[in-house]
Amino acid sequence: MAEDIADILIIGAGASSAAAAWSLSDTRMRIVCLEQGDWMNPADYPSNRREWQVLRNVAYSQSPNVRKRDTDYPINEDDSAVSVANFNGVGGGTVLYSGHFPRFKPSDFRTRSLDGVGDDWPVDYYDLEPYFAQNDRNMGVSGLAGDPAIPYHEPPLPHIPIGKMGNAVARGFNKLGWHWWPSDAAIISEDYEGRGKCLNLGPCNSGCAQGAKSSVDIAYWPLNQRLGVELRTRCRVREITVDDNDMATGAIYFDENGVEQFQAAHVVIMACNGVGTPRLLLNSTSKRFPDGLANRSGLVGKNLMFHPWGHVEGFLDGNLDGHLGPQGTSLLSQQFYETDPSRDFVRGYTLQVTRGQAPLSLALQGVARGDIPLGKGHHEAFRKYLGNSVLFNICCEDLPEEINTVTLDPDLKDSSGIPAPKITYRLSENSQRMLAHGIRSATEALEAAGAFQVNSWGQNRHTGWHLMGTARMGKDPAKSVVNEWGRSHDVRNLFIIDGSIFVTAGAVNPTTTIQALALYIADNMKKNLANLFD
Amino acid sequence: MAERIVSDSGLSETQSRTLRVMLDAIIPADAGRGMPSAGELDLMGYVAEFAPEALDAIRADLDAAEDLAQKRLGIAFGGLSADDAIDLVNTSRATEPRFAQTLITQALGCYYQDDRVVTALGYPAGPPFPQGNTVEKGDLSLLEPVRKMGKIYRG
Repeated sequence: MAEDIADILIIGAGASSAAAAWSLSDTRMRIVCLEQGDWMNPADYPSNRREWQVLRNVAYSQSPNVRKRDTDYPINEDDSAVSVANFNGVGGGTVLYSGHFPRFKPSDFRTRSLDGVGDDWPVDYYDLEPYFAQNDRNMGVSGLAGDPAIPYHEPPLPHIPIGKMGNAVARGFNKLGWHWWPSDAAIISEDYEGRGKCLNLGPCNSGCAQGAKSSVDIAYWPLNQRLGVELRTRCRVREITVDDNDMATGAIYFDENGVEQFQAAHVVIMACNGVGTPRLLLNSTSKRFPDGLANRSGLVGKNLMFHPWGHVEGFLDGNLDGHLGPQGTSLLSQQFYETDPSRDFVRGYTLQVTRGQAPLSLALQGVARGDIPLGKGHHEAFRKYLGNSVLFNICCEDLPEEINTVTLDPDLKDSSGIPAPKITYRLSENSQRMLAHGIRSATEALEAAGAFQVNSWGQNRHTGWHLMGTARMGKDPAKSVVNEWGRSHDVRNLFIIDGSIFVTAGAVNPTTTIQALALYIADNMKKNLANLFD
Repeated sequence: MAERIVSDSGLSETQSRTLRVMLDAIIPADAGRGMPSAGELDLMGYVAEFAPEALDAIRADLDAAEDLAQKRLGIAFGGLSADDAIDLVNTSRATEPRFAQTLITQALGCYYQDDRVVTALGYPAGPPFPQGNTVEKGDLSLLEPVRKMGKIYRG
């Protein structure tokens, strides 16, 4: 019997994997994807139940350490100022993301040249521009063309409603003379490609029951399967194997019954996110790679970047129904995105304006703060706040530092016995100064909008949605893990396409840039098929 | 010896009386707004379905409230007026913020997801899906000054 060899083996079925598989499918090669989680059923999502506000707390928690599905792996975060958010299943992190979809900007790819910090990428915004556009069409992205804070582009669908709350906040920004714009969103505002439009359900980040949020299990994978890509769920990879010529030979994994299997492959693509990918590489030790696969630079797991994140909440008069609409997306301000030498920090941040609190969380926090009393006065106070809250998120650019790491925990293991990752991370002084500036700016904007109360929550630990930098790309094998098109410097048939390969972090949600980069890498693979391993 | 549990709520008679007085005190009815009291809703049914792990802590909260009423006022919590009950709760929470914390958290969860309450607040009853919500598109004329900024990105 002939050996079962995939032409391309992709590990993980999240944002980058889905995009790359779609692109590579036109080669007619045999593509196999191994995903440790399950397919999601939108009928199971909390917004199908009236008790959605509590149902999302555990089973759909962003933290694998809280969620504890049998498809999750634990993460040691004891030495980290930020805790990791992820999801393990078809769709990966996009199952629970908010769909806020701003692109990186040209300066994000040239921080060393422009500002003397971080490093320049081996690609730039304009290399990726056609792939951003292709991905917007594939995913179904809504937005408004003409934003002066980003090179001109036309999202395929009209912008998501900003609501009465958005109007009020916009007036505040205008008073200050600051930039703002309706956010690009991976949520379809009109019926699109057989999918029903957004119904403004609210809790996008516990899964979209309507299927209007462009998670890749909805937007990409059904199409990929029709194109012939083979997706196997509940397959947890333990190790990427290599031969004596430093070529990857395939992956050892546990199948849905927990039985160890081997899948041979001519090409292996890692798409397990900025924590899962270094974890798997570090777990893949061999005689040729005693410190982890593709790690002769010693940089696998180093330079971990999150986005240091703060929250400021404001309450505005006017019965704004601010808690209705797609939770994580309304509008943004990038007034403070680019470096300004007059500030006490370098690089910058986005103010992401999201919807306000749903009734239950409003009540819980209002009672805890003492704003909403128990007993007489409860109802009057509650109505003062209901519908009038708006949340400013301060998304700060992180800079790469080798002391921020993903390593293997010596004791902690997942349910298959595979060593779990340990995160070591602290906020730099630059990040702390930037965050303090962002909190002041958010407060100023809310006051300009007429807020009768502003609550600053400061830096929030539970915001590790964006996992970047732990297998960075670059032209110099001594200073990077993969080359300018995602191929490992050390293993010529091993590619990495997720946020691990980011050189810097930008100051926006990274998914659209991750996917554009994955499409760019897939396109380069196709262009170089004849000499892919040279 | 622990008091006999008398209902499928898992509470004793004393705990059940304490619970009813406590719930009516922390979220009283407001007829003018059409709001029920928390005691009118089936908190223990809600806990059984959505937070069974909280039951022991709720029992402990109720026992603590009863002990406090006996010590401070010399009567059972279940015999207090609504004014005396909420005074006791609020003064206790002022010095011990975790007093009755689990009970209050679950009561708020039950209350603010109940169809009667949600309807009285002016929103449709039931889950978000499939009916959804109407959200105003927004006033894009407000972007006029932003459009006039011209390019603000580098590169």
